[in-house]
Amino acid sequence: MAEPTVPAIFDVYRYDPAIDREPRYQRYTLDLAPHTPVLSALLRIRAEIDPSLTLRYSCRSAICGSCAMQINSKSRLACETHIGPEMERHGRIVVEPMRNQAVLRDLVVDQASFWRQYSLVEPHLKLDPAHPMPEGEPTSMTPEEVERFKETPRCIACAACYSACPAVEADAGFPGPMALAKLYRFVVDPRDHARQDRLVRIQPNGLWLCLRCHLCTEACPKDVRPSERIRDLKEMAIAVQGATENGSRHAVGFKDNIEDRGLLNEMRLVRQTYGTLGMLGQVGQGLRIVRKKPEIMRRPHAIEGVDELQKIYEALDPEEPK
Amino acid sequence: MRKHEVVVVGAGLAGQRAALAAVEAGCDVAIVSKLHPLRSHSGAAQGGINAAVGAEDSVDTHTYDTVKGSDYLGDQDAIEFFCRAAGPTVVEMEHFGTIFSRAPDGSLARRAFGGAGFPRTIYAADRTGLALLQGLWERLGTERFTLYEEWELTRVVARDGRVQGVIALDRRRGEFEGIAAKAVVLATGPAGRIYGRTTNAHSCTGDGLAAAYAAGAFLKDMEFVQFHPTALLESGILITEGARGEGGYLRNATGDRFMSKYAPHVLELASRDVVSRAIVTEVSEGRGFPGPYGGYVHLELMHLGREKVESRLQEICDYCRHFAGIDPVTEAIPVYPAQHYMMGGIGTNIHGATNVAGLFAAGEAACVSIHGANRLGGNSLLETLVFGKEAGIAAAAAARSASAPELGTAEVEAATAPFRSWSSRSDGEDPSLLRTEMQQTMDRYVGIYRTENDLLEGLKRIRALQKRFERVRVVDRAKVYNLNLTDAIETGHMLDLAEVIVVGAYARLESRGAHWRVDYPKRDDAHWMRHTLAQRGPEGPTLSYAGVAYTRWEPKERVY
Repeated sequence: MAEPTVPAIFDVYRYDPAIDREPRYQRYTLDLAPHTPVLSALLRIRAEIDPSLTLRYSCRSAICGSCAMQINSKSRLACETHIGPEMERHGRIVVEPMRNQAVLRDLVVDQASFWRQYSLVEPHLKLDPAHPMPEGEPTSMTPEEVERFKETPRCIACAACYSACPAVEADAGFPGPMALAKLYRFVVDPRDHARQDRLVRIQPNGLWLCLRCHLCTEACPKDVRPSERIRDLKEMAIAVQGATENGSRHAVGFKDNIEDRGLLNEMRLVRQTYGTLGMLGQVGQGLRIVRKKPEIMRRPHAIEGVDELQKIYEALDPEEPK
Repeated sequence: MRKHEVVVVGAGLAGQRAALAAVEAGCDVAIVSKLHPLRSHSGAAQGGINAAVGAEDSVDTHTYDTVKGSDYLGDQDAIEFFCRAAGPTVVEMEHFGTIFSRAPDGSLARRAFGGAGFPRTIYAADRTGLALLQGLWERLGTERFTLYEEWELTRVVARDGRVQGVIALDRRRGEFEGIAAKAVVLATGPAGRIYGRTTNAHSCTGDGLAAAYAAGAFLKDMEFVQFHPTALLESGILITEGARGEGGYLRNATGDRFMSKYAPHVLELASRDVVSRAIVTEVSEGRGFPGPYGGYVHLELMHLGREKVESRLQEICDYCRHFAGIDPVTEAIPVYPAQHYMMGGIGTNIHGATNVAGLFAAGEAACVSIHGANRLGGNSLLETLVFGKEAGIAAAAAARSASAPELGTAEVEAATAPFRSWSSRSDGEDPSLLRTEMQQTMDRYVGIYRTENDLLEGLKRIRALQKRFERVRVVDRAKVYNLNLTDAIETGHMLDLAEVIVVGAYARLESRGAHWRVDYPKRDDAHWMRHTLAQRGPEGPTLSYAGVAYTRWEPKERVY
């Protein structure tokens, strides 16, 4: 009782930097059931057609995080991406290594930078000698306290988020979504005593480089939602320390502007973000904008119903996070 | 030559715990692992970790359940030591940072598991292995040690009965490297890929077992292979026993909760060997559902309600949706047994010591023995941590008194020459084809129900594959990350282990735990309450036997 199959076309990135002058794409065609995972297909290619095709894989059940790669330009786990929908949508399956990490061979990338960013957030409990762990007993933690970790304990460090992230590509100083989600996991841990220090240290160290594009959340196979946890970190960082960075000052200024008049006062926002002196550095860009859009110099009037808006802000204003 | 006091091979829970203990003892420690530590197969463990804590449960009950679960082949002194260590081990992991699921009062939540007289399985949703692996790796990260990441073990070097170090393939550079060591801890995990239908990861190829065996260590009780009752059909992906622990039912095609026939008192929560045999019997007697991947039964969670299923069995929901295309909240899960765990392994005492001086083993690669003929769910995560720590402490002590190890470049060259010759052949055997045939042979002839004829046929086929393996050929000539080469190395290792499993199973003329001989359906304590020890000889494994340590629990018939 064989299952129906469909012809599947794979265009697979091949590159051995030690031998090849440049990468190439190799086409493999085979008949497969539509629910076949891309990983199974690649392993079949290895076993039956080309044993030199190189990739990382282990558990085949989306828990070891080894087989993240680009499948039709999306960073995904090969083990849980099925060939049927990919063929239907794209007519072929383009398989490439993850982005933002150098290729070692074919689909295998060097993950050193990813792991370094992870260790830079100091992913371990920091204890206070004044508050030792209970002797011979587990720490008490309520289910509600466990809820505060959100989905971060599900992270399998597959680096799909790191591959998908444009801020990682643009700025080597950005820790990346996984490392920041991991930081969040320690910041909300009731056993950790370095919460404030962690938040103060991350503010000038990449927290505000996140572009809020949510591509990490889209890429994450475990629904960890790194971009939402980065947003939480930003709120918590401002709450413990105020806005100390251009990024956080911009965020606070933006809110002040809207709360005040319902419209942005761009000049005021630039001053709030960079400070009066810092504005000098923005003069060049400012002049270019003014030339195209002179009305930007005018102070905006308050919009109609701004008092209603302010009531919304008042209602939304969260209590200081614990 | 690289040199360390203690080299730990494998970076799952057992290896990491051994490394931590050896570092804390002041040793210069290196970890050799073919995967990044966070990608280890320990992370795939789902259901939980057993510990008798609180007034209602006791170490004695946990010990008794484990002894009974082992079908009286487990060493009772070792089991008692193990169960006594459980509580402190779980507390330590909690203090390291592991995020466990909690009861409303803030204590560690517990669930029921098969073969246990009390709900004593502590868990982190249905990803307990991942939670422990993260907690331990993040704790170990605060210590100093060397990590040889993506280095694959190929040899343990021993001379005159004493370990000198290991030889490993650096996958990224494609070079074989020697690492001299005063003590070596093998924590390389499972060898489940000897079978085709297995819950184990592709990386579970028994590298440490094969290397220890080649170096003269005993392999113990290798014929005891656990088949997990509930794995998805085509992929063999595990559906945790926790699904039944939370109240899941097994039903056959006639709608019967058939476990009432096989285990009238505890039904679905009988031990794994009992439930697996029941499912195979139901299907072979025509009461299974038919399908393109063979007959199967249903695991039902629908009656538990969406809230419970989605919160406590979150990963299971994902597995079912992604890998079986069904929603366990509203549909039954088609399941059938699959190879899951090796009760056997490198023979050790409770300190991880083997018969080779300076060589230690822990975790699934080792056999202490606490699982005997059948392991209880929730005991393997505990085993990795309890005996990983013991092995690390013992290895550090051994390193302190050992003389400098001797491992020279010439020796590494000579030991790895065969591997390198494989790629200069102009024709020969394809390692992945040999592997597939080995897996088919083991699935067909050395499965849940065994007979003399099947085992003889299996042995004949495995030996034929070993013969063909002598002409194995590696066609990929690249240095970097040559999977064709590692496939070949691993296949050679697994063929040796497959031979040991079949020879042990053929020789054991009784049915005990996971080893079921259709032609000898009774347990035979008079002749067979003893451990099988296999040592490498010129014509394959040589078997000898050792007594089982028992203290307080007289063997009796096992009824669930």
